[in-house]
Amino acid sequence: MPVLEVRNLSVRFATVSGGTVSAVNDISLSVERGEVLGIVGESGSGKSQTWLGVMGLLARNGRAEGSARFDGRELLGLSHGALNELRGARMGMIFQDPMTALNPFLSVGRQMTEVLQRHRGMDRRAAERECIAALEMVHITDAPRRLAMHPHEFSGGMRQRVMIAMTMLTRPDLLICDEPTTFLDVTVQRQILALLDELRQRFNTAIVFITHDLGVIAEIADRVIVMYGGRVMEQADVHTLFADYRHPYTEGLLRSVPRPDVTSHGKLATIAGNPPDLAHLPAGCPFAPRCVYREPRCETQMPELLDVGPAHWRACHHVGALGKLETAA
Amino acid sequence: MNALREMSEASAPRAPALLEVDDLAVHFHVPGSGWKERKRVLRAVDGVSFGVAERETLGIVGESGCGKSTLARALLRLVPATSGHLHYAGRDLLALDAKSLRPLRREMQIIFQDPLAALDPRMTVGQIIGEPLRALRPELPRAERHARVLAMMQRVGLLPNQVNRYAHEFSGGQAQRIGIARALAVEPRLLVCDEPVSSLDVSIKSQVINLLQELKAERALTLVFIAHDLASVRHIAQRVLVLYLGRVVEIASRDAIFARPMHPYTRMLFAAAPIPDPDAARRMRDAPVRGEIPSPFNPPSGCAFRTRCAFAVERCSAERPLLRDLSGGQVACHRAEELLDQARVPV
Repeated sequence: MPVLEVRNLSVRFATVSGGTVSAVNDISLSVERGEVLGIVGESGSGKSQTWLGVMGLLARNGRAEGSARFDGRELLGLSHGALNELRGARMGMIFQDPMTALNPFLSVGRQMTEVLQRHRGMDRRAAERECIAALEMVHITDAPRRLAMHPHEFSGGMRQRVMIAMTMLTRPDLLICDEPTTFLDVTVQRQILALLDELRQRFNTAIVFITHDLGVIAEIADRVIVMYGGRVMEQADVHTLFADYRHPYTEGLLRSVPRPDVTSHGKLATIAGNPPDLAHLPAGCPFAPRCVYREPRCETQMPELLDVGPAHWRACHHVGALGKLETAA
Repeated sequence: MNALREMSEASAPRAPALLEVDDLAVHFHVPGSGWKERKRVLRAVDGVSFGVAERETLGIVGESGCGKSTLARALLRLVPATSGHLHYAGRDLLALDAKSLRPLRREMQIIFQDPLAALDPRMTVGQIIGEPLRALRPELPRAERHARVLAMMQRVGLLPNQVNRYAHEFSGGQAQRIGIARALAVEPRLLVCDEPVSSLDVSIKSQVINLLQELKAERALTLVFIAHDLASVRHIAQRVLVLYLGRVVEIASRDAIFARPMHPYTRMLFAAAPIPDPDAARRMRDAPVRGEIPSPFNPPSGCAFRTRCAFAVERCSAERPLLRDLSGGQVACHRAEELLDQARVPV
């Protein structure tokens, strides 16, 4: 059984002017134990709101509808207290900026031991021992002394490690990482990715990794979901997605980024236009206004997510081959 | 030491340098943390030498804290240099007073990483792009200035009817276009780009890189392109300079440095860049990255990289390696020859 099963999830926000903005539209997906599910998207793709919706962490004016079952238990509509219990003990979330999640006034040790005292009923001494072990697990040296330090005394990479150590204290079944390495240098990013992979292997934790960086996806994900305008555009295992993508948007993403391992000359292929404005999404496919394969029905009718191969789905009306972008470059 | 002279000896004859940087240092004095602690010195840029030829694109890479942005600002005298020399088109920039510097400001412009933060929220797009023209070309009549603003907007892909809108009404990619239009309105020769695409969406990044390259060709610009994103540097730069803790560790042509990085730091940095190809990425996974960049307040003795270097020997802590010519480029590493020989052996 998957650790998380999301069915027909939509996330909507009420606006000040009395309207609604749809950030996520009718998404279904599942996450298996021990796998890394990569979620790729740009601004306005709904890649973060999907998971904030699942975790019950939406802003006040936001509402999630549909179903999200964690280990068989429905999360949407769960009471605040029950959700808090689950989030602390069995689901963890790591954000882009660890300072948004760490309390600047409390020592790292105090924040970490609190988790264990609260969720595992440990006394302080035992909790401290466990925290030192957790910091050592994320390769922080001199751990006993570090416990007394405050978050601002750590570098960005170290803070993210502390965050990971703290989240892993309860051995969660599901770890959601929202752009955890976007602010970090590639060197530190490499270390954090290796660390997450190590933890996944050790504890069989399912990891959802949200990013706009296809390089990171190639490195860490087992399966990938490509999102645009609040919808799933394509879904496949990582090797299939990079070698045999079937959606024009995926093609655009893959063809337009320069690569660090190959020298490209001349112009880069581009996706014309700008990311979608969620308040004014088109009636049909959200990517249609920027798509080089656009047909008349794309503008009026959202294509269904249909399978195009084993465990490979895409939402696109276009029947012919892709490759236009390549020749344009 | 004149880096440029050495370089021209090492490589093929080069175009005359537009910008010549010789032993440049930028030190900041920072108050100590306790009540009796002394002021500390942060050596953000510490003895950097290089040249940028007319119409060349020089890429500058390194981790955060290596001094990239400080160097960028020092090149335009936006932060004061502590010592060293800086020549632009043969003129000694550091010797000029504010008044004689002013006409040169028109020739040297900069664009920043966070385009929205770099644009005044109370000014319209037209005012933002027209501002440097008003300040640096006051002789231009108003109508002429307006015409230039509109032409510039059109050139960077903004609509002329957006001229009275405010910066916050634009997306990140459009805001960066405004930043580019503002910088280029005064027709500079040198454009310093400090992480110009780092905060942009993937699909917008390539649009802006293409725009910069087109404008560079059209206007015969010289670019200093600073980025931590190695892929865009590899695409846009002809030569690449690698900084570590305020010092140059390697300079070489783009093709040479990516084919055969000489400095162990360059190798580590390049190996850490994620590759958008799952097969290649998984092969690279084992390339180890050791440690984090040390505090610039207290850099290691000798070679600053030795604390993270897999090849460090005793000499590296005793003696600071100087930047020297090797294999068509320049590198600051005691063991560069040995490592280069190793790299030549096919694996």
